[in-house]
Amino acid sequence: MTTSDATTGGPRRTSLSRRRLLGLTGSAALVAGAGGWAGRVLLPEQGAAAAPGPVNLYLAGTDGWMHLPAEPAIPPFHPDPLAPDGLTTYIFGFRNVTGMDTTQRLGQKYKAQHSAPIFWVDQYDEATHNEFRVQLTNLGLELRPDLFDAHTLHWHGFRNVIPFFDGEPSGSVSVPAGREFTYVYRPRDPGTYMFHCHVEDVEHVHMGMTGMVFVRPKQDGQSHTHGGRTFTRFLYNDGDGSTGFDREFSMFLSEVWAEAHWDDAHIQLPEWSDYHADFALLNGRVYPDTVAPNGPGVNPFDVEAGRTFDGAGDLIAPAGHPELKYQPISSLVTCVEGERVALRFANLGFRESAMTVAGMRMRVVGRDATPMRGRDGTDTSYETDTLNIGPGESFDVLVTAPDKVGDGDFDTYYLYNRAFTRSNNLADGGFGGQATEIRVYASGAAGAPGAQAFPNDWGFPA
Amino acid sequence: MSTRFLTRRALRRGAVVAVGALVALGGAAATSVPAATAAAPPRNGIVCTTGGTEAGHPVFDLTTRTGYIDLPDGNTAFMWGFSNGFDAFQHPGPVLCVTEGDEVTVILHNTLDVATSIVFPGQEGVRADGVPSQPQVDAGSGMMTGLGQGAAPSTGTVSYTFTATHAGTFLYESGTDPETQVRMGLFGALIVRPAGHADQAYDAASSRFTASEEVMVLLSEIDPFQHAAVEQGKTFNLVNYKARYWLVNGRGYPDSIADNGASWLPSQPYGSLATVKPYDPATHPLPGLARYLSVGSEDYPFHPHGNNGLVVGRDGHPLTSETGQDLSMEKFAINIGPGQTWDVLYKWYDAEDYSPSNPVSVTVPSLANQVVGTFYSGSPYLGDTKELPPGVQTLNQCGEFYIISHNHALFQITSWGVNMTGPITYMRIEPPEPNTCA
Repeated sequence: MTTSDATTGGPRRTSLSRRRLLGLTGSAALVAGAGGWAGRVLLPEQGAAAAPGPVNLYLAGTDGWMHLPAEPAIPPFHPDPLAPDGLTTYIFGFRNVTGMDTTQRLGQKYKAQHSAPIFWVDQYDEATHNEFRVQLTNLGLELRPDLFDAHTLHWHGFRNVIPFFDGEPSGSVSVPAGREFTYVYRPRDPGTYMFHCHVEDVEHVHMGMTGMVFVRPKQDGQSHTHGGRTFTRFLYNDGDGSTGFDREFSMFLSEVWAEAHWDDAHIQLPEWSDYHADFALLNGRVYPDTVAPNGPGVNPFDVEAGRTFDGAGDLIAPAGHPELKYQPISSLVTCVEGERVALRFANLGFRESAMTVAGMRMRVVGRDATPMRGRDGTDTSYETDTLNIGPGESFDVLVTAPDKVGDGDFDTYYLYNRAFTRSNNLADGGFGGQATEIRVYASGAAGAPGAQAFPNDWGFPA
Repeated sequence: MSTRFLTRRALRRGAVVAVGALVALGGAAATSVPAATAAAPPRNGIVCTTGGTEAGHPVFDLTTRTGYIDLPDGNTAFMWGFSNGFDAFQHPGPVLCVTEGDEVTVILHNTLDVATSIVFPGQEGVRADGVPSQPQVDAGSGMMTGLGQGAAPSTGTVSYTFTATHAGTFLYESGTDPETQVRMGLFGALIVRPAGHADQAYDAASSRFTASEEVMVLLSEIDPFQHAAVEQGKTFNLVNYKARYWLVNGRGYPDSIADNGASWLPSQPYGSLATVKPYDPATHPLPGLARYLSVGSEDYPFHPHGNNGLVVGRDGHPLTSETGQDLSMEKFAINIGPGQTWDVLYKWYDAEDYSPSNPVSVTVPSLANQVVGTFYSGSPYLGDTKELPPGVQTLNQCGEFYIISHNHALFQITSWGVNMTGPITYMRIEPPEPNTCA
C-alpha cells in the first residue's frame, strides 16, 4: 500500500454532519456511564470539518536500542550490558507507522529508530488547501514502564503556530501512552526545520526523539536557469533559480552522551550539567556507518509491508548492515560532476558543530528556514568552508560538484566536524563521528548515480 | 550528588534581610548625590532605571553589594552585585536607560573588600575620574589588575563618564578580576535609545517597536563552588570552573516568569515574561523588541517558539550596510556568544485565525485522553477556555496563549540536577479585547 504524499489530501470542509452528532451523543453516553459528572471536558470538541482528513504521516514514540562502535568502551556505560546483540545504546525515538495495521503498529513498541524519520511538506497553498497532518501515538517505554512519559511533536521553527499544535507540553497538551493526537500544519515558509518531542526535552531530545523536516517552496516545478544550469527544484521561492538544486541531502546533527543513555536504561538520572558528547552523529550514525546504505523505508511516504517494513511492521536493515537496522538514514552524498547539491543541516545536539567540506565551497543560501535576503531584498548569502551550527539552528547550503579528476570510479570529498572531538569515535587516529563523504562521479559514466528518488537517496537502482 | 554548599534556606533568607537592613541604613547616611530614579515597574517588560532629571546628563550611582539569590532547585547562591543608588543588593544590576547623545555619569561606590571597576563595552571615550579609562598595570609585578581604573576596597569611589554615541543594547560589567567578579554578578544592561525615538531600537524607523512589548533576555551562569569559595574567603581554581546553573535576567524558571519585583524574589527584580498582543495591521502593527545579552562563558542558543525573531542589531550596531542596505535576518535560533548583545524584533500573529467558528480541521481529542499543560486553557483557541478534567489545574486566566522560549543547549535548562528550569521563559499572548484577562 502506498499512502498519499504531501501534495494530496487535506480535509473537505462540510457543515455539521450526522457523524458529528452521533459522535457527540456517543461520548455523552460514555461520560454518564463513567462516573456521573457531566463536564463538557470529555466531549470531543469537533470542528466544522466532520471527518478529519486522512493523515499524511503517522508517527509513534517509543524506546529501543541503537548501534554505536562498542570499542573503546566507556565502563560501565558503553556498551550497555542490557543491549540486545549487535546494539549498544538505549534510546527513545520516533518510528514511521504509516500504512501499518493495528497489530503491526502496536508491535513497534521498543523498536525506536535514531534519528527520526525525515519528512517533507509542500508549502501551503490557499488554493489547494494542502494542510499536512501528522498523527502521533505513544507506544510507551518497554524498558521503563515506570516513567509513563507523554510525547509530543514540536516542529522547531514553525512560525506563528498555536500552542495546540506546537507540542510544548506546558502551553498545550501532550500524548500519554496508548493515546493519539493529530497535528495539522499549514506550512507557509519554505526551508529546513527540525522536529522533536518537547516533553522533558532535556531527556527526550537527547535520547533521540529528534529529526529533520523541511518545506518545499511553491516555486518547485517551475523552470529557472541560474549559473548556466536549469533547475526545477529549489530551496526557496527565489524567483531566479539561485537556490535550485539537482540533489538534496539532509544532514541532521545529534549527540550521544553514553552515561545519560545508560542512566535511562538502568533507572538512574544523569547530572545534566556534566553533559558532554561522547558520540556525535550524522543522521543517527557515526562515520563510517554514515556512508552505509539507506534502509528501505527512508522515504516516509512510500510505505509497503514486505518492502519498506517487514510483515510484523519492524524495520528492514540496510543491505549488509544488520546492526544499523534502527538507524536507517544514510549520509553519503552521491552526485555527478557539475551538479548542484543542496545540503540541509540542522543541529539538535547540545553543542555547536563546525561542519567543514574540504575541497569545495559551500554557499549559504538559507538559515533558520529563511532565505538569505534582507528586508529590502539585499542578497546576504555567502560562501564558506565551515558552518558553525548551534543547537536548534539550521542552514541550507549549495555545493557544486567539481569535475571528476581522479582515476577511481569517483572522487571523494570529506564533510566533517572541524571540532575534532566530535569527528572521531573516541579512539585515537582515524575519523569517525559527525563525518561523511561526498562522492563525485563522471558525467555519463557507467555506475554514475541516476535521478534521486527522495532526499538522501543515492540514485542507484535498488 | 556532590555536597551542596548551602545550609538551610530559612537561615539564608534571614541573612539577606539583615544585610539588606544594614545596607539601607548605611546608604541613607552616605548619600548626598541624588539617586537615580526608577519608574514604577511594569509587571512585565523592561524596568528602566533613569539617571536623574537633568536632560542630557543622566547620573547613576552604582554601589557594590553582597547578597543571595534563589535558584530553582531550592538552593541559594552568594552573589556580588551593583545596586541602584545605595539600595540593597540586587541581581543583576539595574537596567540603565539613556538616550543617544547623553553625557552619562556612572559613579561606582565600592563596599566590597576587594577593588573593583566598571567597563562599558561598546562605549567610546570612557573617562574615569576625568582621565581616559585604560587597563591598569601593577607597577611592581607588571600584572594587569583591571581593564579600567578601579575603586579601592570597602570605601573607594570612581566616577565614569562617557557620551552614549550609539543607540543599542550594551553590557556594563566589572573590569577587575572579571573571571571572578563578573561571574559573581557584577554586571548589568545599558540601553541607549535613539534621540527622539525611544520607541526604536536604532535610528532607522524600521526598528520601531511597541514599548509595552520590550523585554530583556540577559543570560548568565553560576558555578556554585566558585560562589561558595568567594563567600568563605577561599581560593578557587578557575581551571575547575563548571557552570551548574543558568539564568535569564538573574532568575531560573519558573521564577523567570514571575512579575518584575515579585515579593518572594526580593533581590531578583527582573522577570522575563513577555506579554504581547497578536499582530494586527490596523490596531497592533508594531512588533516587540527582545534585547538579548550574554555574560556567560560559551554560546547560548536561545530558541523562541512560535515566531522567528528579526535580528536588527548586534552589539549596538544596526544590521545595515554602509550604503543603507538592510542586512537584518530572521532567525529561530538566537546563538548569542559571550559578551554579545542581539536586538531582535518579534511578533506573534494569528496566522490561521482559528476560533470556535473557524475550528482546526481535526477532531480535538478529549482532554481526559491528553496530559494537560500547566498553562493550557483547555481550548485550542485564543480567548477560549474549556473546563478541565477533575483534579486538573491550570494557571490559564482567560484563554491566553503561552509560547515558550528557552536555551536549546538543553542541558543548560537544568539547575544542578533539576530538569526543566533555568533559562526558560514564555511569551504570553493576550486575546483580542474585550477579554477577561486580569
